[in-house]
Amino acid sequence: MTVGSLVHGTLVSLQSIEATLHSLAAKTNDREAKEAFYQSAINTQEVIRQIQTRKGEIEREEPQYQQQ
Amino acid sequence: MTEWLEVALRSLGGFVVLFLLSKVFVRKPLGESSLFEFSILGAMAIVVAFGAIQLTIPIVLPITAIVVFGILIFGTSLLSQKNKTFRSFFYGDGVPIIKDGKILEDNMKKQRITTDDLLSRLRSKDVFQYADVEFAVLEGSGELNILTKQEQQPITPQIMKQKVPPIKEPETVIMDGRILHEPLATRGLSHDWLISELKKRDAAVDNVFVAQVDEYGQLSFDLYDDVMQVAAPTELPLLEASLKKVQADLELFALDTENEEAKQKYQWCAEQMNQIYQTVTPYTKE
Repeated sequence: MTVGSLVHGTLVSLQSIEATLHSLAAKTNDREAKEAFYQSAINTQEVIRQIQTRKGEIEREEPQYQQQ
Repeated sequence: MTEWLEVALRSLGGFVVLFLLSKVFVRKPLGESSLFEFSILGAMAIVVAFGAIQLTIPIVLPITAIVVFGILIFGTSLLSQKNKTFRSFFYGDGVPIIKDGKILEDNMKKQRITTDDLLSRLRSKDVFQYADVEFAVLEGSGELNILTKQEQQPITPQIMKQKVPPIKEPETVIMDGRILHEPLATRGLSHDWLISELKKRDAAVDNVFVAQVDEYGQLSFDLYDDVMQVAAPTELPLLEASLKKVQADLELFALDTENEEAKQKYQWCAEQMNQIYQTVTPYTKE
């Protein structure tokens, strides 16, 4: 496994976390919990953005390992 | 009029009278009423029972007795609601039996409680040593209520200074294989959501005995078929696990890379995930 594919795996996990947080925020009845889930989802989005740019950099640095 | 017919009529009357009177009484378990209330109840039941079968007693007499009792009960409950002195006079005040960890022998004597009695009452409150009690009071109803010393009390999140999520009542959405639409709607969940949630875990509505939705929208249900295994809800544990995993991954990347800027970026991300984990876990702990 190249670093690129590892980072890609983490990115997918992050996206799944974000989706779960969003669905929890929508489902829960409690205002405080809703707020916590929603804020966490937003923070996760920021992390996703960072990792996405990093993944782009890695792919540019090592084009020979890029997956089709 | 034949005798049995009169008995039947009187019984019917007694039934109605007792039913109406029960509406006057305050709602509480019979065991919690004071001795006074309990004896009045007994007296009335006896009057009604006698009135029903003793045909030699003219019907007016038991009716008069019941009406007078009824008025008195209603009057005392009305007065005691308004007046504190009246209330303590009729229902009795709480008498402290243990105070500051010391047994008040004088009060025990006045209330005619023996030492054995006190100890057995403490035991029924799960206290086997009188020294564990800070304060105990004998209520007007004859019940002994106790306050144990702080160090004997169960640990609460407040003592541990821990944050716990507020608990909300679950909604029952399926009963006896039938979907209840109203509780489903109060949660803002749809019929289709419920069906798909059941399908995810291989169950049909007809086979579900009871299903409840907790405050995070997780569904738990019991099947008629007890041999079948039901999958437990996995969403929250899974979320927790994957948050931990991603954080660990990011930290690993940070260690792996030689690019200083990327290292910092990974570390920042790992820190973010850790924070998210901290915010979310109070709500995901069962």
